[in-house]
Amino acid sequence: MNLPILSLIVFSPLVGALAIAALPSSHPNLIRRTALATSLVTWGLSLLLLVAFSVDGAGFQFGEAADWIPDLGIQYKLGVDGLSVLLIVLTTTLTWISILASFDPIKTRVKEYMISFLVLEIGMVGVFVALDLFLFYIFWELVLVPMYLIIGIWGGANRIYATMKFVLYTLVGSLLMLVAILATAWTHQAATGSWAHAFDFETLQAFAAAGSFGRDFQILAFLALFLAFAIKVPMFPFHTWLPDAHTEAPTAGSVILAGVLLKLGAYGLIRFAIPLYPEAAHTFAWPIIVLSLVAIVYGAIVSIVQPDLKRLIAYSSVSHMGFVTLGIFVFSATAYQGAILQIVNHGMITGGLFLLVGMVYERTHDRTIARMGGLGAVLPIWSTAFGFFILASAGLPGLSGFVGEFLVFVGSFVYAPGIAVAAIGVMVLAATYLLWMFQRVGFGPVSDFIAGLGDHMTDMTRTELATIVPLAALIVVFGLFPGLILDFLGGPARAFLTAAGVGGS
Amino acid sequence: MNWSDLSCIAPVVAAVLAAAAVLVVDMAAPGRRRPALIAALAGLGAVALTVLALAGHVETAFDGAYKLDDLTVFLDALFLIVATLTILIAGEYLEPRGLPMAEFAAILLFAIAGAMLIAGAADLLLLFVALELMVLPGYVLAGFARHDPYSTEGAIKYFLLGSFSSAILLFGLAYVWGITGSTRVDAVAAALADVAATGKIAPGLALGLAFVTTGVAFKMAAVPFHYWTPDAYQGSPTPVTAYLSVGPKIGAFAIALRLLVAALGPVKEDWLPVLVVLAAVTMTMGNLVAIAQDNVKRMLAYSSIAHTGYILVGLAAYAGGQDDGLWAILFYLSAYTFMNMGAFAVVAALQRKPGVSSNIATFAGLGRRDPWLGALMALFLLSLTGIPPLAGFWAKAYVIVAAIEAGGWPAALAVLAMLNAAAAAFYYLRVVVYMYMREPAVEGRLAAPGLLSRAGLGAAAIGTLAFGIFPAVLTAVGNAALVLVG
Repeated sequence: MNLPILSLIVFSPLVGALAIAALPSSHPNLIRRTALATSLVTWGLSLLLLVAFSVDGAGFQFGEAADWIPDLGIQYKLGVDGLSVLLIVLTTTLTWISILASFDPIKTRVKEYMISFLVLEIGMVGVFVALDLFLFYIFWELVLVPMYLIIGIWGGANRIYATMKFVLYTLVGSLLMLVAILATAWTHQAATGSWAHAFDFETLQAFAAAGSFGRDFQILAFLALFLAFAIKVPMFPFHTWLPDAHTEAPTAGSVILAGVLLKLGAYGLIRFAIPLYPEAAHTFAWPIIVLSLVAIVYGAIVSIVQPDLKRLIAYSSVSHMGFVTLGIFVFSATAYQGAILQIVNHGMITGGLFLLVGMVYERTHDRTIARMGGLGAVLPIWSTAFGFFILASAGLPGLSGFVGEFLVFVGSFVYAPGIAVAAIGVMVLAATYLLWMFQRVGFGPVSDFIAGLGDHMTDMTRTELATIVPLAALIVVFGLFPGLILDFLGGPARAFLTAAGVGGS
Repeated sequence: MNWSDLSCIAPVVAAVLAAAAVLVVDMAAPGRRRPALIAALAGLGAVALTVLALAGHVETAFDGAYKLDDLTVFLDALFLIVATLTILIAGEYLEPRGLPMAEFAAILLFAIAGAMLIAGAADLLLLFVALELMVLPGYVLAGFARHDPYSTEGAIKYFLLGSFSSAILLFGLAYVWGITGSTRVDAVAAALADVAATGKIAPGLALGLAFVTTGVAFKMAAVPFHYWTPDAYQGSPTPVTAYLSVGPKIGAFAIALRLLVAALGPVKEDWLPVLVVLAAVTMTMGNLVAIAQDNVKRMLAYSSIAHTGYILVGLAAYAGGQDDGLWAILFYLSAYTFMNMGAFAVVAALQRKPGVSSNIATFAGLGRRDPWLGALMALFLLSLTGIPPLAGFWAKAYVIVAAIEAGGWPAALAVLAMLNAAAAAFYYLRVVVYMYMREPAVEGRLAAPGLLSRAGLGAAAIGTLAFGIFPAVLTAVGNAALVLVG
């Protein structure tokens, strides 16, 4: 197949963004529909990719490469393996759901909003397909600006503080990453005497596999990349931007933040930081595992006491993402697969939770847990859905959240039984904060605040159902048949472990 | 002197003639804006033709005092762009304030003539005279709004400190001449190569070097020689600020290239430590102070100090043994021209009506009051921050590459530069916050900027968007840099 499908997926949102830019802002509905149609086309293309992708193929597929800046060997090089394909589909799915979910809540500057969202999609998908470090960096930074605007313009009361914090945290990490990327390419250039393919990931990985990056260099470069990715994940103690950004972002912004942006960090660790600097990765594995455990425990404990629905879910993300970094850094095939599964699940489950909280906010203009109560009687369909996603988030067996955490547990038990047991023990805490929150919101007598809203409290609309049902269905399907995802991860897992220097165990 | 000498400095001659022509037109039609504007733009067109005609030529003139090569042509083109953008920005700014267009354009053209003379100067004396020819009109421009006390204050500070620094530079040049026995750059370099071979630097030469570096650092507005910058920038009429923040800075770096690199290159290890400290202090100090500014012009003044610091990293990379630092400097200066003048062009367009302050509050709700102006300002600010794929990003990336290649202290500077860039995001994005995330103080849409402003804004935007992406640009920059290192 000669169709440059990856370029099509990456840049199809651009067509929609340009079309929307040409539309008059006096027709918000037309703009909304154009944005949705664009994101559906991109989604369709990504599904095509999913079908056409060969699970048994080795290495990267659908490769595209062209010289971009020959003087420095910078290429426009794309390619995907099983991991990228999964994350691309996750991104395109959440994007159209987010755009659909923004139809009613976003009433001002619809045009700018939709353009921002589509540009955001270009950056996110671009990160997952770029195989040139420089190109990767450009897509990475491209994500920053639209999200900055989405939080800052359409966010809540404290949005400016939150968005500046988000940008500054991310920039500190990413600019140091730029230095490390350039230094990596230069090291390759110094060794080979030519800039050709100096930023090419596959070339650099082969170079790294031959042990050509010195230990001291690896440690510095790894730390720079790790900082950038750890801020994005976010790992404890770099997580403090997350609760603010999540809380202040509009609903769809929170969905994308939790569903995709956090995953960019994990993806960066898996794709670039560890394979390029394996020795350094092993050196720092233990500290990172400990930090992951701290994140898991800390995120869960802090979640218990959060008074705000969105803040609670934000802190629970810190905890859930801890499982991901834990699964990555124990270097086992099982834990790796669990980590990726956790990435995908967390995207769907937390995305769904943010959507549902957003629906309540639309009706009450409040997210304070203490003012809710008895929503089960007022909004029965919503409460059922909310309960479903909460159980999925708590790791109920049969739903997808369980499988990922379980695999991480099994995989890390061999390597570090104490850590694994401690991490899995936190699932009790997770059940505590989630179910307790659900109890306060959904059960009991209808609170005065809710009762006072009277007719405003209508149950989910059809549009809202259309955003929630697909996610719920996928959570059930992947919970029962995790093999659907795991099939994609055999090759990447082997490649990851080989690159990390642990062999194909 | 003969005709071939004159043809080598054709752009300088053309600029001087253009300035004279503008004055003559003004005598014929006193105080009329349009004829003066047309004359100035036509004059710049003539200068452009001469620059184009000279492209690719390599010659020396005036007994080796002036060199025409790719670097000269490149810098000439850059100065030409600066002058054109300045005129476009000034067109609709001066008139409502009753400031004369013709005098403005003539003075600017004289300054550009001096700058173009620097570009090819291969003799210490010519370098100094050219420098004075560039900066003297700058003092007048800074005080151009002579009824405005801030403008006058800024001009006086600029003039006093500028003259002072010129004297220091001249003193340093005298020492260099005394040690090496020649004012020709080549001869100085050859003499210094001998000195460097012995491994011992004479105290007199060290003193001369220190004075030269100080003088150049003053003109670049490097910390701690930057004190004139904020007042001069804030007080000057905005189009003048746009020019001052770019033109003299490029001129100063042109001196650095012709003097420090071409003449003092052989002893570069000796000035590396100075440059490292200068770069580190300049970018950090510029950024930290910029964070606290509420006036956008003043903020951009401090930010321009920070950018001087980033460019100095490129010079440090050269001194650290990596010739790529030079083309990184040239690239940075070009990218900086577009994005910084663009930002000032937006400020000037906002201030068309006299009395509009350049305080950040003026920018509140700009995204709604004039979507185009707001979007352009956001573009320029994002580029100044260094967000890809805009020009400012490539500029930073190339400087960083050179610094990493050099290793050692320059590589450490690269890390510091990136931390600074992250801090700078705060004050650049703060303006974006005001434009898009705050309610305007006054409702209603702004009247659209006039044709000239739009042309200036458009040109700056195209440069900012496209400069980094096309390899042809890189080749031109690369050829210009090759001149210095052979």
